[in-house]
Amino acid sequence: MSLFIERMINGLADGSIYALLALALVVVFRSTGQLNFAQGEIGTMGAFFVSTLTLTGLPVWLSIGLAMVLGFVVSAGVERVVVRPIEHRNPGAVIVALIGVFLAVNQAVAMIWGVDARNLPSVFPDDADDFVTIFGAPVRIARLGVIGVLVVVLFLLWLLFAKTKIGLGMRAVANNQESSNLVGIRVGSVLVLGWGLAGAIGVLAAAMLAPSAGLSGSLMLSPFLIASVAAVLGGLDSPVGAVVGGLLIGIVEAVIVGYVDFLGADMLMPVMLVILLGVLLLRPSGLFGSERVERV
Amino acid sequence: MSGDALLTVSGLTAGYGPVEVLHGLDFTVGEGEIVVILGANGAGKTTTMRAVSGMIPRHGSIEFAGSDISGSKPDAIVRAGVSQVPQGRGTFTDLTVEDNLLAGGYTLKGSVEEDLDRWFEVFPRLSERRDQKAGSLSGGEQQMLAVARAMMSRPKLLLCDEPSLGLAPLITKELFRVLGTLRDEHGMSLLVVEQNAGMSLALADRAYVLETGSIVATGTGDELLADDTIKEAYLGVVN
Repeated sequence: MSLFIERMINGLADGSIYALLALALVVVFRSTGQLNFAQGEIGTMGAFFVSTLTLTGLPVWLSIGLAMVLGFVVSAGVERVVVRPIEHRNPGAVIVALIGVFLAVNQAVAMIWGVDARNLPSVFPDDADDFVTIFGAPVRIARLGVIGVLVVVLFLLWLLFAKTKIGLGMRAVANNQESSNLVGIRVGSVLVLGWGLAGAIGVLAAAMLAPSAGLSGSLMLSPFLIASVAAVLGGLDSPVGAVVGGLLIGIVEAVIVGYVDFLGADMLMPVMLVILLGVLLLRPSGLFGSERVERV
Repeated sequence: MSGDALLTVSGLTAGYGPVEVLHGLDFTVGEGEIVVILGANGAGKTTTMRAVSGMIPRHGSIEFAGSDISGSKPDAIVRAGVSQVPQGRGTFTDLTVEDNLLAGGYTLKGSVEEDLDRWFEVFPRLSERRDQKAGSLSGGEQQMLAVARAMMSRPKLLLCDEPSLGLAPLITKELFRVLGTLRDEHGMSLLVVEQNAGMSLALADRAYVLETGSIVATGTGDELLADDTIKEAYLGVVN
């Protein structure tokens, strides 16, 4: 029983990281209708930046904060410099351009920080004896911390979207850009803000993942794929869906790795593919995605 | 004209890419006046609206309340006091009725509670449904919501792009009554483009007839209603 609890909580911790990444993907998709292929790589870049900053002696939390600012700027820049000019001419070409950004950021990281893996300190206590016991199961504090980070981010996003004017603007733009323009919302600024926000969240997810996964150029490759599946599972335009999808996938992963011997960790990606296919075939709008209610 | 011109448009040309849709329009809207631009499908009604509200590139002069807005962006034009009810209503279908109105007041600084109360009072149906998603409202209710949303920015001039489109005659009548109220009780000026000649000309102080991007006739609403060519072309009355 205690092993089960331990595995479930670890699954939720991994799921929290997928949920953060999926949230970032959804924030962009809702407003722009694009899947940001570079989302994971911008996160990796941010995690390396955290590493550099901590080596100068800055506290980890402050390093992560500064790296999130970098992620915001880079991601906002991608919207402004790459996505918007291309979208006007050929919306389909944006996908190709974003794959280009993915490659460019991936290579830039390798050029700046090299290809050797390194350790990234956790912002939470993460020594060998830093665990608490929950129903007899030993759970590392750092893992609980990751779940806590998701909760805090969700609360802040809820505040932003539900309680602030700019959040209202973001919801309006996600729903109808033309009408948003007509009521005087600066749609361009809102889009830049959304992409920036997603970039910052992606960096946070990477900084949460790197201490346990090890920091390397391939840090976010499979988490990005898994988070994409989570976002589709939850519904690409639903923030709630992203979170539920991310956590569900985290649990599924923990169950497969822990209990399904004939699949195990090696078969994780094929399982994700099956989930993706299943969702697209059976319920393309995902668990929480909108099949829009509209009367005309 | 019942006052000084609030909006003076001269030599307005606009289009999409290489295609010019408007070939030099001249029209005015006075203070407290309802002006109707009557036109068939493809005449350039929506293009005219989008040109005035800054949604598309345009040339010529658009003077509003003494300043030239022909180069201004949409948000600056809303701030200046021009608000548009778009064709097809354009409500934020995923947002609640109340959030739609709050979005309408996006350009305002400070509290919009009083505005919210005022328009909920004018549109009690919307008040009853304030927490419902706009997409679940009927067509008529959505049109009222679109009008209320446009009024939230405290405009001086309201642009209405074919408000009667897709509405039952009784609902259109009620809508036009509301538009009349905006003029008579709220001191608004309105520019309404329509193909529904009967009801819109009855409401209009003055009207223009737009055909393939040019204005071909003008007069008071009553004059145009009595005009045989108009009757034939827009009311289906054959003499």
